[in-house]
Amino acid sequence: MERVSRFMERETPAIIGVGRTKFGERFEEDPEDLIDEAGLMALDSAGIERRDLDACYISDYFLQLTNKIGIEEGFMSQLLEMHIPIEKVRSFSSALFNACHSIEAGKYDLVLVGGVEKMTDRLDKIRDDLMLLEDPWSYYAGCTPESNHELMLREYIKKYGITGDSLERLKVALAYISVKNHRNAVKNVYAHFRREIDLNRVLKARESAHKPLGLYDFAPISDGASAIILASPRVAKEYTDTPIYILGSALSTDYITYPSREDRAGFLATRIAMEKALKMAKVDIKDIHLAELYDQSTVLEMISLEDLGFSRRGRAWLDLAESFRNFDDFEGFYDLDGHILYVNTNGGLKADGNPLGATGGAQVYEVFKQLRGEADGVKVEFDGDLLYGCVQEVEGFGTKVYVHILGRD
Amino acid sequence: MSSGPIERRVSYIGDRLKGSRCTICGREYFRVRKYCGTCGRKSFGKIEDIDFFYEKGVLESCTVVRNPTNKFRKLGSYIYGIVSFHDGKVRVPGRLTDRILRSDEDVDPSDFEGREVVPRFRRRYSVGPSEIIPTISLAFTFADEYYPYQKYEIVKPKKEYETPGIVGYGVYVSRFRIKEGTIERSVPFLDEDAITAAVEAGKLALIHSGVDQSLIGKIYVGSESNPYAVNPIASKVAQVLKLGEEERDERVQGIDAVDTEFACKAATSMFKDAAALVYYPKTPTEYAIVIGADNSQAAPRGEPGGELDFFVGFGGSAFIFGMRDVIAELEGWYSCSSDTPDFWRRDLEPYPRHGGRFTGGPAYFKHIVKAGRKLMEKMNLTPGDIDYFICHQPNPVWPMRAAKSLGFKPEQYLPGMQVSKFGNTYSGSSPIGLASVLDIAKPYERIMIVSYGSGAGSDAYSFLVTSQIEEKRSRQRFNVRYQVENRYIEYIDYATYRRFKEGL
Repeated sequence: MERVSRFMERETPAIIGVGRTKFGERFEEDPEDLIDEAGLMALDSAGIERRDLDACYISDYFLQLTNKIGIEEGFMSQLLEMHIPIEKVRSFSSALFNACHSIEAGKYDLVLVGGVEKMTDRLDKIRDDLMLLEDPWSYYAGCTPESNHELMLREYIKKYGITGDSLERLKVALAYISVKNHRNAVKNVYAHFRREIDLNRVLKARESAHKPLGLYDFAPISDGASAIILASPRVAKEYTDTPIYILGSALSTDYITYPSREDRAGFLATRIAMEKALKMAKVDIKDIHLAELYDQSTVLEMISLEDLGFSRRGRAWLDLAESFRNFDDFEGFYDLDGHILYVNTNGGLKADGNPLGATGGAQVYEVFKQLRGEADGVKVEFDGDLLYGCVQEVEGFGTKVYVHILGRD
Repeated sequence: MSSGPIERRVSYIGDRLKGSRCTICGREYFRVRKYCGTCGRKSFGKIEDIDFFYEKGVLESCTVVRNPTNKFRKLGSYIYGIVSFHDGKVRVPGRLTDRILRSDEDVDPSDFEGREVVPRFRRRYSVGPSEIIPTISLAFTFADEYYPYQKYEIVKPKKEYETPGIVGYGVYVSRFRIKEGTIERSVPFLDEDAITAAVEAGKLALIHSGVDQSLIGKIYVGSESNPYAVNPIASKVAQVLKLGEEERDERVQGIDAVDTEFACKAATSMFKDAAALVYYPKTPTEYAIVIGADNSQAAPRGEPGGELDFFVGFGGSAFIFGMRDVIAELEGWYSCSSDTPDFWRRDLEPYPRHGGRFTGGPAYFKHIVKAGRKLMEKMNLTPGDIDYFICHQPNPVWPMRAAKSLGFKPEQYLPGMQVSKFGNTYSGSSPIGLASVLDIAKPYERIMIVSYGSGAGSDAYSFLVTSQIEEKRSRQRFNVRYQVENRYIEYIDYATYRRFKEGL
């Protein structure tokens, strides 16, 4: 019996180094330049050489479309001048998820996990591409990347009967999410937008567009790259005293067509993934005080708080409204019924930027730095030790959701 | 991108809104499936085909799109949302069509949510001029507005006739009109064209006739404004309306589909062919459908051919011919033609040219009067034997002059005059006049129709109304008068009219 349990012990993967580029409009750089920049930074941060790598997982959502780059693995091989296994997937979290498997399986000791996206190279067609990939039938019916977020908001306020003053409070709370994320990004040297905005700006944008959600409710189109070095627990301590472990790693999927899903007031896939990730990590959600959420829109930051279990269902808007009650005194974290939760300290997708394939890497980068107490932007501060952080990344509109729970010794 | 195979597969499902139902648990799906997720393996072979083409849905939730994706850009602002069918068994994405939203107009979704909607067959989005025209029925209009929800019910025929004739008909004109002086003309919405009008007219004729769609053995679609130079409208209509016996596995319909073209007589010319076909004893063809649909283009005013811009309309009509439950027997016909080039459009030219005064006397009047006289002569009829007279209506004046010169009085020709309501609907013009008369005709009345097609020729027909006309009337709410007097008609200005004509 003892023999079996020894073999079943999990090889918990550890992050020993991180890197990223500035997100934004990187017109001068090719995708290879960006991943090179982020990768070198990660290698430096881990204190290893590229020749130490056993394998590489990279992600990009649609370089095939934006840059007509077909076999990304070849570009990476040429860049590294190595012939190690390289696999390309669609999101950073997907790369991380798969890299974790390889380390858990005991196959590799040092893996580069990277992500890159070059969206501005196809700016004129990018919304059609995004929507067509998100769900062709919705695209055929006239859906835009923004419409689904607005529909989800409609479904949410109808499901929970939010009307009148409550609805006004909800709308303002959503706007403050954007204001908060912009404020967080000011201190993030890599962020796409490093400027504060005020509430009025968010509301005015909605008003002038005659839309429920406006320009400042949505994440931008960005270029960028990110990378981390993942190590087996066996070797991690050789390189650092403070590895950050991937305690929980989970993926859940959902139907491509949003209208055909049973519950449209949230992402089922987020709920399942979080449940699995917590179980795997053996972490109590109450001990998580930092979350990097996939705020493709302000609505998603709000609803993700519920789907992840930080707020009760139908209550996130109220938790937010309470947290933002006096925004001048807002201390940077949400007070969710007494549970302190910092969300998107790097500025989130809204302000840090959203270069799809690289986005998850920036989220992991942030949690890594916060857990090591090395964050140079907004710092997580509360009465206690920050032991865990959570990263939620979404592919499509809730079609694939990854949750990773990171922790330190 | 323009992929024939992808387009084929998407429109095969999307035009008809095809789905599946598990006969074990009743679960339904949009799109065709081989098994049910709930019942699993045991549901193989127990899945039946359904579709939502004639169904009524509910707009469950919606938002406004102001900044569409590139292919929808020409639509400007529109409402997009989720439509449910069968009490929420199936939900699909959908766009509201036939609705002009100003860019500064605030939209409260709760004004729209919860309302019943009808799927409409439309162009899907813009594509380049050389690409396949994509279509879809994930466009919707409210059932309580211009276009009503009407059930398509197959009715078992009661009576066999000795003479073939019309067993059902439908007329479709769009909700948008331009009014200039005393003339109103129908204008297509941005996503409409001759193809969509042909489908609408055919659908309405099926509803009115109660004919089993699978018994229709031939479809003729006459048009001079097919958006394709090569590629038929008729095959599209046959597939969307599932005309003829369906060969499900090969996804083909057992029907002969063909387009005809002869300016404004492209459809009427085939009335006799349809009637003769259903009469042919050796290989029975139960029914044949003749559709005339046009979205004719006209050059801007002041340019050559621009005079047509004062009269072009948009719409379609469909007539189903058969031997059972006939509402108007086809008593006789006469056609004539001559090589008279009074109106033409060369290949690759966007707008037709017009022969000015030459289109009058030597063309229009000569052929109509000749055909009308000759038919009366052949059938030993005088104008006094005919209750209603209809002829081609390119403008409000000429048909009256033609009718008068044939000896008809206003009470005979005015009921069929629709040009001042819809404009000149070309292939649909005299047929819409015929439909408006059938809407009001009493049993045993005689109707004479004379079409005119530039180039040139006329078809004259005499129909004798039967007693069955009255009972079928209740099946068609969306008759000609309904489309003339509808309170949801929206009048647009000249610039909008030109933009709508241009289309997606």
